Amino acid sequence: MNLDYPLAHLMGGVILLCAFSMLSQRRLAAMITLYQVQALTLSAAAFWQGFAQGAGDLYLTGLITLAIKGILLPMGMRQIVQRFNMVRAVETTVPVGFSMILGVGLIGIAVLVVLPTTVSAVSLTREDLAISLSVVLLGLLVMTLRRNAIAQVIGFLSTENGLVLAATGMPGMPFVAELSVALLVLLAFLVIGVFLFRIREHFDTLDLVGIEEIERRGR
Amino acid sequence: MNLCLPAVFLPLLAAPAIGVFGTRAQGAMANLALNVIVFGFTVGVFFEPGSGLIHADDLGMIFGALTSFVCMTTALSNLSFVWSGNEVLSVRRWRVYHAMCQVVLGSTLLGFYADNIGLLWVAVEGATIAATVGVSLSRTASALEAAWKYFILGGVGIALALFGTMLVYLAAQPALGPGLAAMSFTALGAHVTKLDGSLLTLAFVFLLFGYGTKAALVPLHGWLPDAYAEGPIPLTTALSTLMLNVALIAILRFRHLMQANFAGGGGALQPGVFLLTLGLASLLLTAFSLSRRRDARRFFGFSSIEHSGIAVFAFGIGGPAAIFGGLLHMLVHTLIKSALFQALMRGAALRGSAAPGNYGFSHLRGMIHSNKYVGWLLGGCVFALTGLPPSGLFASEFIIISQTIQRDPYMSLPLGLGLVLCAVAIIRHVGPLVFGHAPPHTKHQKAGVGINLAGLQLALGFGIAFAMPWFLLNALSSVAAALQ
Repeated sequence: MNLDYPLAHLMGGVILLCAFSMLSQRRLAAMITLYQVQALTLSAAAFWQGFAQGAGDLYLTGLITLAIKGILLPMGMRQIVQRFNMVRAVETTVPVGFSMILGVGLIGIAVLVVLPTTVSAVSLTREDLAISLSVVLLGLLVMTLRRNAIAQVIGFLSTENGLVLAATGMPGMPFVAELSVALLVLLAFLVIGVFLFRIREHFDTLDLVGIEEIERRGR
Repeated sequence: MNLCLPAVFLPLLAAPAIGVFGTRAQGAMANLALNVIVFGFTVGVFFEPGSGLIHADDLGMIFGALTSFVCMTTALSNLSFVWSGNEVLSVRRWRVYHAMCQVVLGSTLLGFYADNIGLLWVAVEGATIAATVGVSLSRTASALEAAWKYFILGGVGIALALFGTMLVYLAAQPALGPGLAAMSFTALGAHVTKLDGSLLTLAFVFLLFGYGTKAALVPLHGWLPDAYAEGPIPLTTALSTLMLNVALIAILRFRHLMQANFAGGGGALQPGVFLLTLGLASLLLTAFSLSRRRDARRFFGFSSIEHSGIAVFAFGIGGPAAIFGGLLHMLVHTLIKSALFQALMRGAALRGSAAPGNYGFSHLRGMIHSNKYVGWLLGGCVFALTGLPPSGLFASEFIIISQTIQRDPYMSLPLGLGLVLCAVAIIRHVGPLVFGHAPPHTKHQKAGVGINLAGLQLALGFGIAFAMPWFLLNALSSVAAALQ
């Protein structure tokens, strides 16, 4: 039996499920764990695609994902959470039920947009693309709904995972793209890390509601 | 020899060194020296455009040279900004600041010269990260908020643009197969009718919103006024001119792919509607928000949104003449805006400090009482932004409007309305800014030699519009004809 499709879809599904659960998670620590599971699954998906397509550079993508996103970034984020003493804190501005309904809506949109436009492409790519667009949109939703800076960062990183999932599904996509994504995520994360500390310095909180200085001054 | 490579990689490779070594003054000098060398390379690119992954087509040559020219003059006026000591930063942050200036320059040039949609994306992302670091450098509460906003909105844009890039690659699969060719603008352009039209349309929507974030098109413009107002002002100059241009050029190139696919029966939708909508939205929103700004940098930030909206509108109208008008508009706007920000910086320095927060219109009014030349120059630049004759923008806006009347008459009404409203909102500030009552205790002061550069750029903006040199005219016309 050919395992190409079922396994790739299974891993895509797990990644989507993680992105979706992030919407409902109230605790930062749990969100980080979800992100880690998502990244680990992504690296497994990259390895599997590398094996199925016979493309060596996808193994490298998988390794980078595993090292940076699966291990380093979650470790860094956990440290920040510990340091800021936010282990138990998470709030949502929108009720969880409502944000999940929005999430389901976005997944529906992604499927409805991608499947009809990609009739000519290979079916594996089509469904992979629908899944990864859903992950991207869900990540953006997390970024919009959460007011906590770390939660927004996790949303951003989850978006990036969706993008890499799409890239691994593309037949023969040159490696340049994935490498740069991985490196730039790291860079972006460094930048964000610095930000977090500075925001913390200035406002004694990572709650972004409190920093709307410019609004108050009346531009 | 491919001169694009040193132009791109010299600043990128020099950036780490600048970021680690040197004092404030050494950093500023190194920044200037590198900019001068890179300007030399970008001029050399006209003769040695090279080939392959990084090479310059006509569009890249023109905008690459413009970019490095503006960067060079900005680096010169940066000297006085650094030496004035208005912006109080530690040595380490000055190093980071100058390194980031170089990264912005290098990655913007990469964006113009890259013949690869992935590389273009990398360039834009690199420039964004560098600019975010730059904006946050003064570490005040509002600077952090601006940088965070920039990062979040920019991150969304980057994600959407990358997804669009991958969709273009997928759309090219039937024609070009796997590999690098399916990501090259040259190859994509050559096989454009064989691309998958519906995928290309989907890709274009993502790319438009992705790069539209960088071009600050409404409704993705939220980051721009804050980022303009809070970063160190030389960096603002770079942002206002380089980042917008590289994003607009990217949009133009993808628009061409889609339009050509549509014309060749490839099944893509016509891109015009999307561009016209976003362009008009930007123009009209600024028309109504300009009049309420009290901070000059935020005000001119909104004016940048207006002009990038006009350029996108011109691309949406389509046809060689409108594209020509849009490109001319970008060229002239870049020169005027950079002159304006340099004059503004000098003016604010005359009033005490060029650090962010000292750019209220009430603080800057009556500039002529501080220094005649700066006053007139500032007035001239602000007036030029309105697009009334004899401003260089008049020429480009005239072309765009006449093309609109010819190709899409109904669109000319909202376009005209937006242009007039913006012009009125801007021109209201010229009088008070130049001739108004100066704040008490204002003394007449010397402005320094560097200010002549701003005057030179303003004159160049005028000259390019009304007396364009033949070689530029030929190059720009052939670009517009090829990308129609």
